[in-house]
Amino acid sequence: MLVTGIKSKPVYAPLRADTRGRYHLMLGKGPGNVALMRVLQELQSAAPQALGRTRVLLIPEEIPARAAATAPTDALPVPPADPPVSDARPENFAALGLEALRVFADAPSLLREFRSLLDGALMGTRLYVAGPESFIGLAMKIALEFDLNKDEVRAEELGSRARRVYCIHCRATTEDVRTNVARCVDCGSWLLVRDHYSRRLAAYMGVMVDAEAPGELPEIKEVFV
Amino acid sequence: MSEAQTLEVEVTAIEQVTPLIKHFKLRPVSGDAMPAFSGGSHIVVVMRTPTRVYRNPYSLLSPPHRLDSYEIGVRRMEESRGGSHFMHDRVGVGTRLEIAHPVNLFALDKIARKHVLIAGGIGITPFMAHLEDLHEGRVPYELHYSVRGREHAAFLPRILERTGERVRMYYDSEGQSIDFDGLLSNQPLGTHVYVCGPAGMIDKVAATAREWGWPDSHIHWEQFSAPPVGDAFDVFLARSKVTVHVPPDQSLLESIEAQGVEVPYLCRGGVCGFCQTRVLELDGELIHNDHFLSDAEKAKRNTIMPCVSRARCKSLVLDL
Repeated sequence: MLVTGIKSKPVYAPLRADTRGRYHLMLGKGPGNVALMRVLQELQSAAPQALGRTRVLLIPEEIPARAAATAPTDALPVPPADPPVSDARPENFAALGLEALRVFADAPSLLREFRSLLDGALMGTRLYVAGPESFIGLAMKIALEFDLNKDEVRAEELGSRARRVYCIHCRATTEDVRTNVARCVDCGSWLLVRDHYSRRLAAYMGVMVDAEAPGELPEIKEVFV
Repeated sequence: MSEAQTLEVEVTAIEQVTPLIKHFKLRPVSGDAMPAFSGGSHIVVVMRTPTRVYRNPYSLLSPPHRLDSYEIGVRRMEESRGGSHFMHDRVGVGTRLEIAHPVNLFALDKIARKHVLIAGGIGITPFMAHLEDLHEGRVPYELHYSVRGREHAAFLPRILERTGERVRMYYDSEGQSIDFDGLLSNQPLGTHVYVCGPAGMIDKVAATAREWGWPDSHIHWEQFSAPPVGDAFDVFLARSKVTVHVPPDQSLLESIEAQGVEVPYLCRGGVCGFCQTRVLELDGELIHNDHFLSDAEKAKRNTIMPCVSRARCKSLVLDL
């Protein structure tokens, strides 16, 4: 059960603007939004008119609770620390003069809008995706259905590496897997999480790890963080 | 590709379909079925004359599901080196020819959401086989077919039967031309464009598509350039240890083959890259006529496509 060195594991690279594209469609989640801001600034300086043909769909980063909220009451009064100011907040995107900016609460609602945009999109569109790996994978799965090729899509991985794992035994997909061995959400098998990736399913393959010696599990470690 | 892989065929029908184009039907002499092929494939026809051998690529235009015979269309080239004139003037019903097995360098994208086909003149031939595959499929397509005038619209009845409303004709003689901007600026995501026709048309389609942001993976074209004529030159084949003279009207590849040295080839038209050969020494200039090497590769002067490219040189040594 080979785990590493499998070529299907996607490799991502820092996003760069593709000025050969006519329309630009960008999807960002959480920490990925910083990369989108960077690529938009690049686009702004290389081809300013392109921003008027650029649509951005965002899921904002969760703002950590203010330090003051948890500070012990008997401590010296400390001015509450502001959350880290990200220049990738939605209001900063809005200032760029994009064709459209939409903000979503979660991935399913963003991806629904993404799909309907692709339905009406024209040849000449470039797709940029930035965020956690599972978010990229789900976006790529939809892009594939629209026959977007490698020279039309760019993605940068930023944030959690938690995996979507496809149980090769019962075909259920378990979300948010952080460990080398995880329990299938549907059939309960203990699955070894391989690097074997399916773009069509947007998931890594999980193979029963104790099939020959039931209950004998390797050490379970958190590896996809 | 070696001569052993050729197939002997007999011409069973010839029709002059336009003032310049003849339509040939070829049946295997053995009586077996022809090798299966997919839409967009071409064959190389080997023509043996007393003085030289021509090997010209022609697209298969017959339905891919019919393997009792192959059909090709041959346009008589004004500045023919002889191949198309041989087909037009010397080949009759009953003539036997050799052909190489079909090769496909112009297939349709299997997961495309839409196909836009653009043909100029004899460039319609590969699309004839594609239409057979497309007309029962669920993928939308449109065909834009441009010819000099109505009498030059080869195969139009068969096209209309297959495509109905989906073909749009353009007649130069009536001042009609394809609006490439209009056509390529407004296509849904997942569309692929295919063009086969004169070099100017291919360049125009590719350039217009790129202007509208199309990525290269969605732009497909095929053109079999006839090997251009040029100055005579000599080439030394390092591994075979022979010197080959290349006359003005014969290609480098044909001249090498005439010396009995085999070079692997597929398209013989500067498209596929199969005959790419290393240049070991060069005193002079390579004249690259292929569509395969990038400009950067051509500038390196260390590789050549002998099917269509030549040299203007004092000496040239190839790794053959």
